[in-house]
Amino acid sequence: MSEVQYTPRELLACVAARLIKDGESVFVGTGLPLVGALLAKKMHAPNMMAIYECGAVDPEPRVLPWSVSCSWTTYKAPIILSMSSVFGHSRAGYADVGFLGGAQIDMYGNINATCIGDYEHPRVRLTGSGGANDIASLCERVIFMGLHLPERLPERVDYITTPGYLDGPGARERAGLVGGGPWRVITHLGVMGFDEETCRMKLISYHPGVTPEVIQQFTGFELLIPDDVTETPKPTEEELRILREEVDPCQLFCF
Amino acid sequence: MSHANDRLFDHKLAREWKLKKSRAEKDKRMTLQEAVATLVEDGDSIVETGFAYVRGPMAAYWEIGRQRKKNLVGIFTPGGMNTAWHEFGGLEGAHVAYVGVEMRGLISPFRRGVEAGTLKIYSEWSHGALALALRAAEQGVNYVACKSMLGTDIMRTNPYVREAKDPWTGEPVCLVPAMYPDVAIFHVHHADKYGNSRIWGPSVNDTAIAVAARKVIVTCERIVSSEDIRSNPYQVIIPHYCVDAVCEVPYGAYPGDMPGMYYFDRRLQERVVRIEWKTKESTKEWYEKYILGTKDHYEMIQLIAEEEGMNVLEYMKRLEQLSCDASYFGLGYWGVGGERDWKYEEVAKRAI
Repeated sequence: MSEVQYTPRELLACVAARLIKDGESVFVGTGLPLVGALLAKKMHAPNMMAIYECGAVDPEPRVLPWSVSCSWTTYKAPIILSMSSVFGHSRAGYADVGFLGGAQIDMYGNINATCIGDYEHPRVRLTGSGGANDIASLCERVIFMGLHLPERLPERVDYITTPGYLDGPGARERAGLVGGGPWRVITHLGVMGFDEETCRMKLISYHPGVTPEVIQQFTGFELLIPDDVTETPKPTEEELRILREEVDPCQLFCF
Repeated sequence: MSHANDRLFDHKLAREWKLKKSRAEKDKRMTLQEAVATLVEDGDSIVETGFAYVRGPMAAYWEIGRQRKKNLVGIFTPGGMNTAWHEFGGLEGAHVAYVGVEMRGLISPFRRGVEAGTLKIYSEWSHGALALALRAAEQGVNYVACKSMLGTDIMRTNPYVREAKDPWTGEPVCLVPAMYPDVAIFHVHHADKYGNSRIWGPSVNDTAIAVAARKVIVTCERIVSSEDIRSNPYQVIIPHYCVDAVCEVPYGAYPGDMPGMYYFDRRLQERVVRIEWKTKESTKEWYEKYILGTKDHYEMIQLIAEEEGMNVLEYMKRLEQLSCDASYFGLGYWGVGGERDWKYEEVAKRAI
């Protein structure tokens, strides 16, 4: 039997899609989260409802959109609300999962999308929060996707744009935040979750061809590695077919 | 003259200004050049409308560039290609929730300005909180208490918001004050000559912004009759009394997306953001050639079309058609592929 061939981004998209359950509402950020959400909807979660910060709820994009706001994203949406309304509805309890990207994430799941280096004199100025802060503050649980490199997973992010568990247990409650906080971190090396007691990032599964040791080497802090870590299941032929033929045929994101 | 930031949260000043505006149905049509010349003043704060690169008033932004307006203060929720103003003296500082073009990347002129310290960031926001600041102005409340931004560095780098205790529950809340920008420019599908404006697709924050801002310019794909608006007011998002000028500017969102009509000029946007604007020198070259070197939006589109060797407007309409047939957008024959969009063919001919 021939080996299934796939790229790291394709694996990321498939792993992300699997984390979405049918019937859930998902607040989708731009980039790979968009791909993961569309793939989930075409696979096991046809009743999943996507929410976009431009105000579109439950659209049926025919083509992979270029933006969380463009006409392809809003296509066939039964309602398009205003920006403040969609965030308000999330606060009210209508958003189960928040699906985000970002430049850096730290051991407590705090995300930086604002600047690399000192805020006053940044080495790199990034985009800023966009809807990410609101999504992570208000949705019930948060999935983060990104590349796995030591500088991208530092012990402390240079700037907390988007709240994870802040500085540890109880901090979200003390700060007055509503949602449950970070739940999964998907990178091109593995899938991470968070320890219930310490709120620190822990390994859940490593991708095929990677070991927990390698993942630790590429992480800027001490990753908790429980005994029961497993290998991430490879993308199935069906997942890859739908991804390549229906979700991202032009390889805009999954190259 | 006060700094734009001193006016930004001044609800008394905003009200005084609006009490003086005419409520009459007055013909407010004028050219884009005229509207920008009279209503956008140096040092004004200007708020992004639509979703910056989706239904953004790009023609008006390029016109602001041509008229060399100075020291504007941007309010970006989100912000896009107009941040290039900075390198030509047009943008002095910004209140930022987001500046970028998503997967296409960061906007280099903005990034360079902040990194060099020449472009001041006056406050950081999240999209939700900045949307609430504008919504508060529309709802007539002094501030709103929300649950965004708490516990993060945004609270530390935004001097306008405050953490407080909810007087009922004692929980921490983030207080966001009502915001009143100096200028807002909208690009819409249809407007009547008085300024009532109709759109398809997401309104984002536009109704709130129209009420919050002191000076409002509407650019539209087409001016329609007042009867047309009155007989179908359901997608009308901006009322005439907020509007100071109405300009008919077909393809006014180019190279951005106009829901139901044309998609991004993906080739151009990708090339500009990733390559042409990579360095200060190449940005200058591009801006001088395409913005300062052209007399208006159509001359710019014509120049781009000649260099691309293709009909860019037709290309954008085709892209839009890929996913959106007119019937689903409810645009009927006004939209993509429609029979009655003769005017766009005219403009396309002029541009090619």
